[in-house]
Amino acid sequence: MTRSPAWLQILSRSSAALLGGYALSYAASACLARILPLAATDAVIVATLPAFLFYTAAILWAFACRDALRAWALLALAAPLSLIGFWPQVLEWLA
Amino acid sequence: MKNTFTQSMAWLHTWSGLIFGWLLFAIFVTGTLAVFDKELNHWMQPEIPASQVSQADAAGRAIAYLQAHEPQAANWGISLPSERSPGLRVSTGERRHAGGVQLDPNTGEVVEVRDSVGGNFFFRFHFTLDLPRNWGIFVVGALALVMLAALVTGIVVHKKIFKEFFTFRPNKGQRSWLDFHNASAVLLLPFHLMITYTGLVIFMLIYIPAGVDALFAGDARAYFKAQGNTRLEQPRGLARQPAALVDVAPLLAQAEARLGPLGGLNIRNPNTAAARIEIRPALGNRIALAKGQAMVFDGISGQLLSDVPEWRAAPLTQRVMVGLHFAQFGGYPMRWLYFICGLVSCLMIASGLVLFCVKRGRKYANASADASARRWYRLAEVCNVGFVSGLLLACVGLLWASRLLPVELLQRESWEVRVFFGAWLLGLLHAGIRPARQAWVEQLLLTALLCIGLGVFGGLEDAMRLGVVACALVLGVLLGLVAWRISQTQPEALKATAGRQMEAEA
Repeated sequence: MTRSPAWLQILSRSSAALLGGYALSYAASACLARILPLAATDAVIVATLPAFLFYTAAILWAFACRDALRAWALLALAAPLSLIGFWPQVLEWLA
Repeated sequence: MKNTFTQSMAWLHTWSGLIFGWLLFAIFVTGTLAVFDKELNHWMQPEIPASQVSQADAAGRAIAYLQAHEPQAANWGISLPSERSPGLRVSTGERRHAGGVQLDPNTGEVVEVRDSVGGNFFFRFHFTLDLPRNWGIFVVGALALVMLAALVTGIVVHKKIFKEFFTFRPNKGQRSWLDFHNASAVLLLPFHLMITYTGLVIFMLIYIPAGVDALFAGDARAYFKAQGNTRLEQPRGLARQPAALVDVAPLLAQAEARLGPLGGLNIRNPNTAAARIEIRPALGNRIALAKGQAMVFDGISGQLLSDVPEWRAAPLTQRVMVGLHFAQFGGYPMRWLYFICGLVSCLMIASGLVLFCVKRGRKYANASADASARRWYRLAEVCNVGFVSGLLLACVGLLWASRLLPVELLQRESWEVRVFFGAWLLGLLHAGIRPARQAWVEQLLLTALLCIGLGVFGGLEDAMRLGVVACALVLGVLLGLVAWRISQTQPEALKATAGRQMEAEA
């Protein structure tokens, strides 16, 4: 297995932590806000309060996973979540 | 990064802690000082007299002054004297903090007060690093996130977390630093986690507006309207029709009975038929932060137009979390508790930074190590001194600047800030040209002397100013002891041999 230089791995993991982590916590909040059975104003707050838990978990994942490529799995996870969160907007866009 | 989970978490903890710890230390120190922001304001503006005037009397004098000098203004702002901020300030702009005139609450006469950033500087620096506000809150938010990650990785790498409650082995070099770092982290772990998370919650919808984007199509105004945070409609046309203002004293009494101690009031369109009187509570009447709340009265009839809203469960939860961070509730005992917990957080960060260098000192500080590794090690050492003791020096330097800069200096406030950053920069430069141990000792000693010396500016008959001076005295003595202790320790190489001898003898 060829391994990329250490600094490149660190850079890749750090960007995955920062950007992938942001995407994940953004998507997870949007998804939660959409599916929580609460009034819209309350759902926004309840869905955003735990956002930084997701972000922290994402940062840990980006540095704990086996290789630097896997760190970007965060983005793959964010995609379906944001699809749920922005479902009406997606339908509107498709129509 | 490394083979096992624990190893990679330890790697993340070490490096993120080092690189971001320097600024995190500055954020925690200024946040700790900001617990006593009003007290520092009062100390830095010695012209403001102490007063025992009732808020109603003070409000009456403020309105008399505004009637005489600004009868046509569109808005009168009045900050009432309170336990922690004895000044009476009036202003006419839309923004409460812009400009304004200080009045003597006892007489209603103008008091010439020096311009000073005051303790507010620490508060502002704490959440913006003195960058432009919108940039600053994102940078500080990112740092808070790193802090959270460092706390969690710190928990993960420590298997014997309970045992570390009770472990401190002094005088053992690296061992002692590690023990201290662990103990200060574990003892106050709930505080560290709480203060970091609630700090992120303050601006959470600015950081992650996902919910507003998804449910309100990104329209923040629609969201706030749905929350019920709308201003009352301003009556049109009436603002040109002159009318006599109602007496505010009974309104203040009514508001105080409902809200607790008051912070201040605004009178919009005074002396017209459209006059509105908004009375706001002091921030600390309950845990949930009451920022932005006010009771609104009609300025002519004195009728209550809008009461403070009851928060529903979700907004109340957020308000309580924010209130836990702002630490305005519970009076002075709670303030001291936050101050001491904040100091422990600062010590935890500083000891972690020092530990990084102590651990590697033996390997990199001697001549046999590779030159580039030595340079990096030296950089970490210089930054440690400059960002820890240099920042402390800058903070006390700001207090000295507030008293020593000429009162008539133009743009005096920005000169104070220049002194703060100048002292910090000098701290970094000094660390760069002196051996690390001497740099620590000299900077800490200077900081200690400046802290102890705050008493020379007098004003000790005022209880609040005396409190600032006494607290600085205690902190100064403690810093002095730290400096003395560092100067007493043996150089690293000697200690290593001594340690080995001791092990051999045992």
